[in-house]
Amino acid sequence: MADKYEIHRQLLETYRENRAQLTGDERQKARLAQVKMHQAWLERIFGSVEDGKPIVYSPIYPELIYAFDLQPLFLEAWELLPLRQDMYALCESIDAAHEAGIPAELCSFGKSLIGSLLQGKLPPPAMIVAPTFPCDNLKTSYQVLRHLTAAPTYFLDTPYWMDADGAPDYWLGQFTGLISFLEEHSGKKLDYDRLKEVVEESNRMIYYWRKVMELRKLKPLPQGGRGLGGILTGQTVAGLPVGTEAMKMLLDDIEERIERKETAIANERVRVIWFHIRIPYDREIWTWMGEMGAVVPVTFGEYSFFEPVDTSTRESIIKGLAQRALEVPMLRQGRGAVGLWIEDCLYAVKEWQGDCVILAGHAGCKWIRGGYGLLQDALREHGIPLLMFDVDFLDPRVSPPEEYRGRIEDFLSTVMAH
Amino acid sequence: MTALEQLAKPAETLSNPAIERWKEKGGKVIGYYCTYVPEEVIHAAGMLPYRMRATGSTGTELGDVYSSHLSCSFVRHSLDQAMRGEYNFLDGLVALFSCDHIRRLFDVWRYGKIEFPYSPFYLQFLSVPFKTDDTAVEWMANEILRFKRSLEDHFQVTITDDALRQSIKTYNERRNLLKRLYELRKKEAPPITGAEVLSAIIASTAMPMDEFNQLMKQLLDEVGGQDGASDYKARLMLVGGELEDPGYVKFIEDLGGLVVTDFQCFGVRDFWDLVDESSEPIPALAKRYVERISCPRMIDHPRRDSFIKDMVKEFKVDGIIVQRMKYCDCWGCESAMIAWEAKKAGIPCMVLEREYLMIAVGQLRTRAQAFLETIERSQSGR
Repeated sequence: MADKYEIHRQLLETYRENRAQLTGDERQKARLAQVKMHQAWLERIFGSVEDGKPIVYSPIYPELIYAFDLQPLFLEAWELLPLRQDMYALCESIDAAHEAGIPAELCSFGKSLIGSLLQGKLPPPAMIVAPTFPCDNLKTSYQVLRHLTAAPTYFLDTPYWMDADGAPDYWLGQFTGLISFLEEHSGKKLDYDRLKEVVEESNRMIYYWRKVMELRKLKPLPQGGRGLGGILTGQTVAGLPVGTEAMKMLLDDIEERIERKETAIANERVRVIWFHIRIPYDREIWTWMGEMGAVVPVTFGEYSFFEPVDTSTRESIIKGLAQRALEVPMLRQGRGAVGLWIEDCLYAVKEWQGDCVILAGHAGCKWIRGGYGLLQDALREHGIPLLMFDVDFLDPRVSPPEEYRGRIEDFLSTVMAH
Repeated sequence: MTALEQLAKPAETLSNPAIERWKEKGGKVIGYYCTYVPEEVIHAAGMLPYRMRATGSTGTELGDVYSSHLSCSFVRHSLDQAMRGEYNFLDGLVALFSCDHIRRLFDVWRYGKIEFPYSPFYLQFLSVPFKTDDTAVEWMANEILRFKRSLEDHFQVTITDDALRQSIKTYNERRNLLKRLYELRKKEAPPITGAEVLSAIIASTAMPMDEFNQLMKQLLDEVGGQDGASDYKARLMLVGGELEDPGYVKFIEDLGGLVVTDFQCFGVRDFWDLVDESSEPIPALAKRYVERISCPRMIDHPRRDSFIKDMVKEFKVDGIIVQRMKYCDCWGCESAMIAWEAKKAGIPCMVLEREYLMIAVGQLRTRAQAFLETIERSQSGR
């Protein structure tokens, strides 16, 4: 019988091999950091499947779920990681969703999740924690996951305006409700001492992450694209020592590179603010852009305003985690009016010394679609060149690299010429 | 002119003589984009709530400047109408996170890209919860209070509890009258078609409510004792989101189906549940708007599923047609789940994708005809 998790097991093997090859090579520290944490995360998932440990689908930071000694599964990471090995890895799942009647224009994250679930490629959940933000796709796809798995599901209801009277309390109430939900369905009481340990661990990870991102503001950029990827790290292994270790390695790498006066590329000509996540199946895109003299100091996926969670009391921990959930990249910009997304883009340009913005507009991201015109106006007002193009982050059949790379090349040539 | 003829008129244009008369008397009109906006609050402020449509739009050239080809076409057409000044009879606009498309449409208004003759134009965005529990009701009550106060501040009016009670009564009357109309649709030979009902519901969102209620009473008198056609091929339930074109329903009915009930925004989701008149007005409104039968913006799909199945039984429905606006993600998954559940329950179900304007008519005809024939065949085989 075919192994339903075959793609992920192959990926895990690749990580193990990569780790053996990279260990000890000081110049490969950033890459090794990523390999180690992805390997550790996949091993935990497979370990949970084999041991029957409850798995919780969850899009939020995982500290709370780790504190319950449950295994969080950030589904987007589960779907994204195999694309690094095989760009067509999710096509079967996407097609399975289409065949089941899910419309083609739904976000391919949602489609691949639903398709993978229908094909038995997702480890079954004991519980689901679901968001009402940042977009309709996620909210509606999670309703399908609940429908198909019949797993107990808890939705986190996010007020549109967090500065409205009562909004922070309502949001905090969603988190205390989540704790009760996890207690009820796991049969365990939350151990606040354990939660404190986990949160202190993730605080350390976030401290290193912020330091890395701070140093990536330097011009010329000292570290290449391997220093990116914060969103995946945070949502998979935050609160585990392996997450902290990975971020520390990234920090060591960039500090050592600065000391050695090394730069991401030899001749930096243009700094690109890539205001969405990297196209997951185009793993060499940063290298390719580097050949033209372009570097990407920050993407949407690393851009965050995380603060350390105050671990002095139970209340402060829960309050801090609730706040952290609002600041996760993309969730931060997606929950309210479009102004914050635009302000963040402008801020990123200023702070990371961007010369231009590229928006690889994922077809499924309807929440930003209606903001395109407003973003264009704002960037034009500030004299910042912008390239927007359509892409499907999970399905290279829709947007093959040769199509959009030509547009990027033309755009970068124009920016460099001015 | 019969009441039915009078009620059909407002659906044909954006504004209408009733709105013009209202404006001539110095009345204010507040547009709103979704059935989760408590119209009673606007009504209690002495203003006319107007449900936003894009009727009459023929293109999206201007709207596309601030949207995208992957935005829903209703939103693109509505934005286009706004940029052309077609909503200039409005004094304000209220929206909420109905969906990603609507909230971004509102952002275009918010960030001053639309010019209005009235200044300052009232703009309000409500933070309506996605859950239906007690804390969500409490949150909604705060939002309604905030909404009420903002209307009072902006227009320098006072909304009293008595006025709110009266508005609740008036709107409940509308709901009850529409429910009586739906009762008639349970008959073997319903005296009114689905297209005519859709027109009447649209009218209820585009004219003073007292006027509408009078017309509805007349309509019920006119059609109450009558029988309509009974030679239809199938009794249909129409399910979906934004549909404001009675022509779309008529097209399906001209092929031999009769729409006897629905699960639509311009339909049962707007009026099926009443507000409790014996409670304090704002908590009662909050409870009704949160706990009412929901649309897929809310996360309680299982409840919607049961409701649809109940309606199928009550109205002796032979088949469900789900109409889904292209790029509508909320209805994307919902339509799939409805189709899965209908299949399990042995109810014929067809999902139709559509654009705001009725294009691809040939495809619609072919699919609707095939669906009706399938139902007919399955009935004759019983």
